[in-house]
Amino acid sequence: MPETSAWEKASPETGGLQPVPAPVAAETETWPPAGSHAGAPPPERLATAFTGKRRAVFWLALKTGGLTVLTLGLYRFWMKTRLRRWYWSATRPGGTPLEYVGDPYEKLLGFLIAVVILAFYIGVVNLVLMFVSFSLFQQNYLAYGLSLLGVVPLWFYARYRARRYVLGRTRWRGVRFGMDPGAWGYVWRALLHWTITLVSLGLLWPRMTFWLEKYRTDRTWFGDARLTQGGRWTMLYRATWPIFAALVLAGAGLALSELAGRSEGYTVIALAWLLAGYGYVFYRVETTRILANHKSAAGLTLTARPSALRILMITVLGYLATALVLALPLGLLGFGVALVQFAQTDLMQEFGELGALVSALPQPLLLALGVALYFAIFLLWATFTHAWVTLPTWRHYATTLTIHNPAALSKVSQRARDEFQEAEGFAEALDLGASI
Amino acid sequence: MTVIRIGAAPEPFEARGLYFDGDTAVGDLARVTVDETARRIEISRKGAPPLHWPLDALRLLPDQAGGDLVVLRLRHDPVARLILDDALLLERLPDVRRPAPLVRRGRLIGWALAALASVALIVFVLVPRMADQMADYIPPAGERALGAATLDQIRSALDETGMGEPVAFCTAPEGQAALDALQARLAPGLPEGQEISVHVLDHEMINAFVLPGGYVVFFRGLLQAAETPEEVAAVFAHEIGHVVSRDPTRHALRSAGSIGVLGLLFGDFAGGALVLFLTERLIEASYSREAEAAADHFARQLMLDTGLDPAGLGSFFARLQQVFGEEEGFLAHFTSHPALSDRILAAEADLPPGFTPRPALTESQWQALQTICN
Repeated sequence: MPETSAWEKASPETGGLQPVPAPVAAETETWPPAGSHAGAPPPERLATAFTGKRRAVFWLALKTGGLTVLTLGLYRFWMKTRLRRWYWSATRPGGTPLEYVGDPYEKLLGFLIAVVILAFYIGVVNLVLMFVSFSLFQQNYLAYGLSLLGVVPLWFYARYRARRYVLGRTRWRGVRFGMDPGAWGYVWRALLHWTITLVSLGLLWPRMTFWLEKYRTDRTWFGDARLTQGGRWTMLYRATWPIFAALVLAGAGLALSELAGRSEGYTVIALAWLLAGYGYVFYRVETTRILANHKSAAGLTLTARPSALRILMITVLGYLATALVLALPLGLLGFGVALVQFAQTDLMQEFGELGALVSALPQPLLLALGVALYFAIFLLWATFTHAWVTLPTWRHYATTLTIHNPAALSKVSQRARDEFQEAEGFAEALDLGASI
Repeated sequence: MTVIRIGAAPEPFEARGLYFDGDTAVGDLARVTVDETARRIEISRKGAPPLHWPLDALRLLPDQAGGDLVVLRLRHDPVARLILDDALLLERLPDVRRPAPLVRRGRLIGWALAALASVALIVFVLVPRMADQMADYIPPAGERALGAATLDQIRSALDETGMGEPVAFCTAPEGQAALDALQARLAPGLPEGQEISVHVLDHEMINAFVLPGGYVVFFRGLLQAAETPEEVAAVFAHEIGHVVSRDPTRHALRSAGSIGVLGLLFGDFAGGALVLFLTERLIEASYSREAEAAADHFARQLMLDTGLDPAGLGSFFARLQQVFGEEEGFLAHFTSHPALSDRILAAEADLPPGFTPRPALTESQWQALQTICN
């Protein structure tokens, strides 16, 4: 590739239109990546690279988040689209980037459709529930409870639909991913599995994890290749040992403190809590890993090697760093609130010119400053967590993923576009899209 | 086509790229050259005829990470992609950063309008209608529970220390006794079986409001801003007017229905602001013109019936209007219609013949009421 601009080097003698000989062969090793094109024998496996830098996602999140605040939340559909495009393009299995083709307008449309349906639910059904609850029982907890219970099926519905939308708008090597419709089937299965899990006091949790993931995976496609979730649900018990260890530890701690009356028991219980926290993360990461290693599509298989400890450290340190960075604006906000209150007392007048100045500041100005700072903290929180939590987590999952037998890609061809105009409206309206 | 070129001709461009035809998952190694005369690029692949993409129809995928790769597409082709590791080509593509929408957006405006219309219908028609109906059927115990729950919410939301500590009630014994005396004086205005609970909140706001189930709440600021007990009595009578007409029950039910919908629209990022908004709405409850007028009318009649000088409300207004202007919360609540204070002042001249007002409270009772928060 030329080092300087083509225009700088241009001269009338070359004429400029004749093709020049192909560049030196040394470049073929890096670009295009091996295994991405026909001809050369494909490698045995494709590693996944992640090319995104923290600084880049920080500025993108800050810019789009700022616009979201300025537009009273309207820009959040664009924000989400642009961030996804960024994350997808940074993720490169076998050196070729994923592509996100979702459109902000369809997200807005899907959101509006969901709002109409939910507005009816929230406005009318909640009103009726509240009336009944106050009329018959003189309190509103029943209304809150029933209303929340009514949202649960919708929650699963929204999650399935959101996954279908995101997959339907994801491409790799020009080929679309996709997911079959089946949100209501997912809802009743999820409700049933949750009931079983709760009744079994969590003992059958791995069974739920496996069957729900199998339901989703078996309906997922890459082009015309259907994904299959292999394995058995019992294989996920491997991921539960820290939780069981935490339970045993907690039991020992309780016995020590309650029966033996020793104060060391409380230390043991505190340790059990820490272990349980790790156990939860371990379960999430390990089940993802085990399930990924048993997925296949048209002869393609995966090896995932995420580390639970690494994910835990990223999460804890990322949020800790964000909180530390935001402590300053938060402190300012607190100081400002105190100052405003103080300014309204007569005492302020005694503080000479500065006091008089602060108390003379118009109330709306102070209020506007407070509101601006409040939103700024929201915005900065989201921005910093993108750079310090979401990106490192994403990068870790990406770079520990390997695709086996890429030769099978030659059998994969395109699938039709899933129009799906409702997009992820319900997930957006119910605020499920927590990560990205 | 004749291309008239000014200055030097551009350098020939050539790059190795990766071409995905949008049908198979295996790409083609492509040699990409620019044909400036025909204003197009040529994509040559092994074993396939060369492809020609017009320069002005090429589009760059936006928001790509890394900055090392350039992913290009054709404006009208949703799937085919050409990936280069050389950004130099971009200089020659005039429209490469223009949008190339994938989704037809024509229906969007229609849907957006329909969505807004139905949300408006739910918030402004359906919920108020239902609330009005329910307010007639809710049993007294339920109504009181609703009022109690709302009062707790308001007290917590009014807290300014940020600790979530509810604002305190003022209950100095002498002041409480004076308040009870005022309540007893106005009691004839209440229908049989209607109970009211009167509270004073330790807050400097100059305001008073009513909640479902007969909760009448004064702010300390209002008691201190009043110059005569008749002024407080006038406000009291006005609020009793709302209790009798059950305006607050309707209002609370409406707010409960519509506030969640608004939260839904704006997303969670405004969650905190919304709670404040809710409180604001309940306190500054500006009922309909008719409801306010009815409460005024009720207040004047009640004051006349109980031997109180109805000029109280008018004089209080006139003074507050001078101090705060039209836009303050107090006036927004009591005078949602500008002609109101004039009419009440005019009512002074309209007193029935032989009407002799008796004072609302004694001087010591009045002192105690004003210092109920000490």
